[in-house]
Amino acid sequence: MAVSTPVLGVIVLIYLMVIFYLGWIGYKRTKQTEDYMVAGRNVHPYILALSYGATFISTSAIVGFGGAAGSLGMGLLWLAFMTIVVGIFVAFVFYGSRTRRMGVNLKAVTFPELLGRRFNSRFIQGFSGALIGVFMPLYAGIVLIGGARFVESTLSVNYDIAVFILTIIVAAYVITGGLIAVMYTDALQGAIMFVGMAILLILTYVKLGGITAAHAALTAMSGQVPEGLAAGGHLGWTVMPAFGSPIWWTLISTLVLGVGIGVLAQPQLAVRFMTVKNTRALNRAVLVGGPFILMMTGVAFTVGALSNVYFMNTQGVIAIVAANGNTDLIIPEYINSAMPDIFVILFMLALLAAAMSTLSSQFHTMGTAIGHDFYRQYLKKGELGQTINITRAGMAFTIIISVILAYVLPISIIAHATAIFFGLCASAFLPMYTGALFWKRMNRKGAIASMLTGTFASLFWLVLVHGKEANSLGISRFLFGVDTLLTGTWTIIDPILVATPLAFIVAIMVSMLTRPDPQDHIEKCFKK
Amino acid sequence: MLGIEDPWIWMAYILCFISAIGCMINGALKWNEGIEEEEVH
Repeated sequence: MAVSTPVLGVIVLIYLMVIFYLGWIGYKRTKQTEDYMVAGRNVHPYILALSYGATFISTSAIVGFGGAAGSLGMGLLWLAFMTIVVGIFVAFVFYGSRTRRMGVNLKAVTFPELLGRRFNSRFIQGFSGALIGVFMPLYAGIVLIGGARFVESTLSVNYDIAVFILTIIVAAYVITGGLIAVMYTDALQGAIMFVGMAILLILTYVKLGGITAAHAALTAMSGQVPEGLAAGGHLGWTVMPAFGSPIWWTLISTLVLGVGIGVLAQPQLAVRFMTVKNTRALNRAVLVGGPFILMMTGVAFTVGALSNVYFMNTQGVIAIVAANGNTDLIIPEYINSAMPDIFVILFMLALLAAAMSTLSSQFHTMGTAIGHDFYRQYLKKGELGQTINITRAGMAFTIIISVILAYVLPISIIAHATAIFFGLCASAFLPMYTGALFWKRMNRKGAIASMLTGTFASLFWLVLVHGKEANSLGISRFLFGVDTLLTGTWTIIDPILVATPLAFIVAIMVSMLTRPDPQDHIEKCFKK
Repeated sequence: MLGIEDPWIWMAYILCFISAIGCMINGALKWNEGIEEEEVH
C-alpha cells in the first residue's frame, strides 16, 4: 500500500463523522412508523436516485464484476447496458410509478407487505419476509466481507476486528435512524462513488493513450488469452465469447440476465419507490440514475478489461496473472500500481462507501422482513403496536447472522452469493410482482403458486443441477450418487433462466383457472 | 469502431452511453409530469 495509513485514517474518520451526522438527522426526523420504514414517503428525487444506485452497486459489483471483466473482457458491457435500461429506466418508469401508487393505496411500508396486501394474503407477506430474512444475510455477508477486507488491507486492522467495527458503525445508524438515515448516507456515499469512478475512467484512458488507442491495444492482445479460458470459448477481451460455449453461457445467463433482470425484484430497491411523494420525483430520479449507473458498471467493466493493457505494458503479463489468478484482486492491484496516491485514497473511500451503502439497506430490509413482515404481520396478525421496536430487534438478529456468515463462509460459496440472491429474488418475486402491478386478473392463488414454484425451482436447480453450486454443496452426490442430476449444457445454465419463466407460466395458468379476486379490492389497489 | 472490431462489443459500448443519455432526456422532458398525484399521502 503506497498511501500512508495515518492520512487515510484521518480521511476515513472525517467521512465517518459526516455519516454519523446524517444518521443523527435520520434519527431526529423519524417520528412514526412510515418515517422509519419508507422515509415518510417524502424523499427528494436526487436522494432517491443516488440511494437506489449506491444500494444496487456494492463493492463486489465494482471489484468483483470489474475483475470478471478483467478476465472475461468487455462482453460484460451488456450487463452495464442492462443495468441502465432495466435497472433504472424500466424499474423507475414502469415498475416504480405503479409500486409507489399501490403502496400508498394499500398503506404498505415494505416490499413483502405490498405483495401481501395486493393479493390479500398474509402468507405471501410472511413467506416473502422469511425468504428475505433467510437468504439476504448471504448477500449481506459477502458485502460485509468486501468492506472488511478493505479496512483490513488499507488501515492495517485485523480482519475479524474489521468485520466487527464495520457492522457496529452501519448497524448504529440504520437501527436508530431507519430508512431516512439509510438514504441520506447512501446519497453521500453515492456522490463519493461517482467522483471516484469518473476519475478512474479518465485517468485510465489518459494513461493508455486515449479511447481508441486503448481499445485497439486490448484488441491486439487477443493472442494472449490463456489456454484454459480459450478452451472455454474466450476469443479475446474485445470480442464476445464463442456462441454457446461455457464462458458465453456464464456471461449471458448468470451475469447479464441473472443480475440484469434480477435487479427488478430486489426488495431493498423496490421499497425505495415507495419513499417518494409523486411520480414526478421518479421521473426526475431517472435523469440522475442513468448516468450514475453508467459511471459505476460501465466504468468498472471497461477499466477492468483495459487493465490487461496496462499490466502488459508495465509487467508483460495479463491482468489475471498480475493478480495471481484471483479476479477479485485485479481492480485493487490496478488501482494501487497505476493510479496516483491521492486517487488511491479517494478510490478506497469510494469502495468503503459502496460497501456501507449496500450494507445499510440490506440491514434495513432484513430487519423489516423479519420484524415487520414475518413476525408482526404473519405470526402476530399485525396486532402489535411496537412495529419499530420489533423491527429493530429483527435487524439486530439478522445482522448477527450476517456477521457469523462473514466469519464462517468458505470463499467458493461467497463468490456466487450476489448472483444467487439476485436470481432467487427474480424467480420468487418477479412474476408475482409484475402481475401485481400490471395484470388485474392475477389473483391470490396464482401469486402463491408462482412464488412457491419460483422459489423451489430456483433452489432445486441451484442445489442439484447448476454445476458450480451443486458440486461444492455435494447434496446431489449424497442423495443420488451423481454430481449433478442433469449433464452437459444444463449444468451451466443459471437457475434464473429456468425458474423465472416457469414461475411466470404457473402464475398465468393458475390465475386463469381460478376465480378472480373481488372487484372492489382490485379497484382499491389500482386507484389513481 | 473505437478500436473494437467485434460489432457486438462496440454496440454494447455505445448503447451504454445512448441509454444513459436517454435516461437524462427522459427525465428532462418529464421534469414536471406526475405532480397531480401529490395529494395522496
